[in-house]
Amino acid sequence: MKLSTRELAILAVFGALWGLVEISLGSVLKTLNIPMSGAVLAAIGLAVALIGRAFVPQRGSTLFIGAIAMLLKLFSLGGAVLGPMVGILTEALVAEIVLSMGGQPRRMSFILAGAFGVAWVLLQPFVTGPLLFGRTVLVVWLDLLDRGGRLLGLQPTAAIWIVLALLVIHLAVGGLAGWMGWDIAKMLQSRLGRMTTDVIQ
Amino acid sequence: MISWRNLKFNLLASIKKPSLGALSYLAIFACSLAAVMLAPAPRLPWVAGGCLVVAALIYPRSFYRLMRLRWLAMIGLLALPPLFLVGETDRSLLGIPYSSEGLMSAMQIALRILVILVSVQGLTEAVDISSIAGLLERAGFRGLGFSVGVAFNLLPALFQSAQNAWRSLWMRGGLRKKRWRALQLFAVVVVGNALNRAEEIAIAAEARGFSPEKCLAYPIKKSKLDWLILTLALLSIGAMILIR
Repeated sequence: MKLSTRELAILAVFGALWGLVEISLGSVLKTLNIPMSGAVLAAIGLAVALIGRAFVPQRGSTLFIGAIAMLLKLFSLGGAVLGPMVGILTEALVAEIVLSMGGQPRRMSFILAGAFGVAWVLLQPFVTGPLLFGRTVLVVWLDLLDRGGRLLGLQPTAAIWIVLALLVIHLAVGGLAGWMGWDIAKMLQSRLGRMTTDVIQ
Repeated sequence: MISWRNLKFNLLASIKKPSLGALSYLAIFACSLAAVMLAPAPRLPWVAGGCLVVAALIYPRSFYRLMRLRWLAMIGLLALPPLFLVGETDRSLLGIPYSSEGLMSAMQIALRILVILVSVQGLTEAVDISSIAGLLERAGFRGLGFSVGVAFNLLPALFQSAQNAWRSLWMRGGLRKKRWRALQLFAVVVVGNALNRAEEIAIAAEARGFSPEKCLAYPIKKSKLDWLILTLALLSIGAMILIR
């Protein structure tokens, strides 16, 4: 991936915006213990990264933005936790894979990238829990059912429905982030009078 | 009178910190992480103890920072559920039933979290952001050092810009009707301002002769012990995989 100075500066700006969301809004949401704060943060962060992708439509640019945001989160004043850092990088990686498979940026690829990126938030505890913290998959599963049941007002015995509903919600939130990211990118490109950095150069 | 806190700090300050490079700190961090991830349950207390001793020798202040209520609460929140969820409840403390199997599981989780938190705190304390960016640049993320430097310096300006845009929107009643549209416009203003800054930064960098193809990777702090520590870390990880 060869990037010009302008492209590097644009990626830096979008990485900083994602990092800013994680540092400021992330701390507030976690402190207030708002349900699904992870999905909300991932959706906003991915929307930012996807807008960045529209301005630098090169393979690896979304992952690059994620790497910058992850580093900013790592060195933020609130102290670092490994979970959010792994989350940022893997969400960016998932979005990058989806976008790279889609070829040229399109609305549909943005929606899919957002949806799968946010859906990762649901799966992440099953990977980081046993790997990093030694939590068993069963404990993570029970925790998910408990939180999901309380959020949706369902009994934990309706496990399948809880998981399906959570998955649909995550996919919808992510899809919406992708949709909004595409709209904002197009709005910005028309307002700023440019399409992508390729056109400028 | 000398307080316990001062005494503790004096004791910590009296321990001479070894001079290590960024690569050494990263190798120690990766080794600690791999150690707690790979260690089988019966050996975890020894492995975690070893990691904590190494951390105490290299970055002792990271322990002091962890003595905050929110970190302790986080460890408790993550470690306590297995007490009641894993295994049969066969014991009780102050009338609260818990399982001995769950207790073992909770202790393992707490140890793992402690080692990870100390390692991350220690790494961020010992290595600066440009060194990490420099290492990632050498690993293939070309230009990351420049981008991270720009992003880090832009954070306060972007925060101020976003705050101003939000307050303007709020005070002019922009959120009363068509909230969705208002949020979109807010995002457009914030990202538009950020893009203008990116333009200015790119022009300024080019005017100073910066070129991503020709620039050197960000310098990182090096030490003679780097390769020795990296080898030891790799050998330890290999040994743990074999023992496992």
